[in-house]
Amino acid sequence: MPVPRRRGAGRRRRREAVLGASPAPRGGSADDDRPLRVLTGTVLDASPHLLVLHAEGREQRLPLTPATKVWRGGPGGLAALRPGREAIVREAADGLGADRIWVDVRRVSGTILTRGRDTVEVDMGPHRGRVHVLLPPQALGRVLVRHPRLEPGYLFDAICVRSPGGPQAVRPGTSQPGYRADDLAAPPPTAPVPDALHGTATWFDAGQDAEEARSGWGTRGGAESRIGGAAYPAVDAEGEAGGCADAPAGCVPLPFLSLGSELAVRNECTGRTGVVPVVECGCAAALFCDRCVECGTSPRGRVVELTPAAFVGLGGELEAGCFNTVVRHGAPDEDGLGR
Amino acid sequence: MVMVFQNTQVLLLAAVLLAACLAKLTIRNPRAAVPEHVHGVPVPAGLRRATAGRSIRGMSVGLGLGEGVLGLALLVTSHLSVRIATMVAFAAATWVVGELRVRRPDAGCGCFGGLSSKPAGRRSVLRAMLFTAAAIASLGAPHAGLDVLRTGHARMGLVLVVELALFAALSPELSALLLPRGLPRALRRGGGGSGHRGAGQGERQDVPRGARRGVRHRPVVPCARRRSPLAETYATLYDSPAWAAHENTIASAVPLDVWREGCWRFVVFQARADGRDLEAVFAVSTSQYDRTVRAALVGPGSAERPAGAAPSGRPS
Repeated sequence: MPVPRRRGAGRRRRREAVLGASPAPRGGSADDDRPLRVLTGTVLDASPHLLVLHAEGREQRLPLTPATKVWRGGPGGLAALRPGREAIVREAADGLGADRIWVDVRRVSGTILTRGRDTVEVDMGPHRGRVHVLLPPQALGRVLVRHPRLEPGYLFDAICVRSPGGPQAVRPGTSQPGYRADDLAAPPPTAPVPDALHGTATWFDAGQDAEEARSGWGTRGGAESRIGGAAYPAVDAEGEAGGCADAPAGCVPLPFLSLGSELAVRNECTGRTGVVPVVECGCAAALFCDRCVECGTSPRGRVVELTPAAFVGLGGELEAGCFNTVVRHGAPDEDGLGR
Repeated sequence: MVMVFQNTQVLLLAAVLLAACLAKLTIRNPRAAVPEHVHGVPVPAGLRRATAGRSIRGMSVGLGLGEGVLGLALLVTSHLSVRIATMVAFAAATWVVGELRVRRPDAGCGCFGGLSSKPAGRRSVLRAMLFTAAAIASLGAPHAGLDVLRTGHARMGLVLVVELALFAALSPELSALLLPRGLPRALRRGGGGSGHRGAGQGERQDVPRGARRGVRHRPVVPCARRRSPLAETYATLYDSPAWAAHENTIASAVPLDVWREGCWRFVVFQARADGRDLEAVFAVSTSQYDRTVRAALVGPGSAERPAGAAPSGRPS
């Protein structure tokens, strides 16, 4: 879903003109709570000490250290860094080389449509389409442990790697909710909306549009704290807001927002906070009423889905699938005041 | 002594049935206070639909009238069919309360209308079982309720008092009777009925303005998550003083942008004033009541005129 550039900044300017200025969502400012630098690109070359990546429209060279960890369906080594593969690289906090590298990682989450002998067809939502996920024997057992109902109508969420035949499941991304996708009960209509949304943050397989959209989303605040983008489960469907017309209500009382709205997302496990613009409707996330247990047990409900770059920049591990989060939405209240 | 006990059951059952009838007819179920989560897990929509009948006003009134008729019949006649009907009614109630306790431990039984909004627990099941036992005991009572009252006996009065005390002890509705009414329980607590522990104590929540004032007793949907169709937004906008004040500057009826953030939907029109191209930005409230409209003229880079508030005052 391409997002027009500068729309977020323009909307913020117009909103402030009519409602008055409100404090913008703020990211972390200290070294240990601001997002880490992340590069997403294609591997050009790799040696024991250097990774050459085509990212952000140019060739980038990143030092590799003995502490650098590589993941491709599991812990791997330099052999995974073959030219042509997609890589997401998180720099070390001290900026001296790559800390973690994920190669060809994908995620498929949505509603199961059909189940084959070693495949499952998943509907990822109206704007992400459908996909056939390969379930190799070595991964099927792991997936079944946390997805006991691989049947049409139930939810599916798996971490995958790219393969010529399509995404290949490696491990479950969450424990499968016990209800059918169409049987999710929404919170009562009168449930109040908290200023800070507690729940779980996951990541989604963002297209290049969503990853690149960040460059058009405003410049106020520390530029370092603005990262990636987010799919938000309650994007308004009216006008140019950008939401899905038949999006489920979700299991968390969320305020309606629009593409370009900004969210301050805090990773409760690492303490890092970043400001992310809403770049996509997260109607698939609204179906999941699950918890994250990365550090303690989060309240139920996915309150935000992040692009891989944003997720990794906030200290999340892509293969883990989620982190406990607190999201501040900053939506104006009845009096026009920001939260 | 056995006959005194049997006659007392007739009086007790008549009193309970009439009280239940009165409560169902006069006190509505506080629907907003019924949580839709069980231990944090949303109730599946299917199960919610199966138990939705409890909150339908017509069904509650019908049940109350039936109980009233049965209570009056116990008072005026000693016919066996009335006693059997009473026994069957209480046996059915015992089964229903027991099922509710297992399948919807978050919801009240509605036995006494809006007073029974507390989750059905063991006490409620035990109470229904004791009433069923009393109904069985009343099968052999020789007199109708009014006759028993006329031939009042001290021992009968004592048994009745003891039974009423036991009834009160097993009734979670007593605490609801003692609480001030007017707001849903969830709002009186200052939190939501969702059972979600999303907001910690001390964090502000979007409690609707009408509910905060305690003026309206109907549940109010928070404006930040209330679905507001575009037609409603335009109707509110065109009816507002803010629109009237800026209407002459609007250069095109087709909006440049329409989006929403929380309690406000923003509509931007191309405008022209003092020979300059501007943008007219309107913020239209998405509240259920007392929607307001604010407006500003914005230049290419900054706001040209401070925002002004103009209540439209048009309820939905």
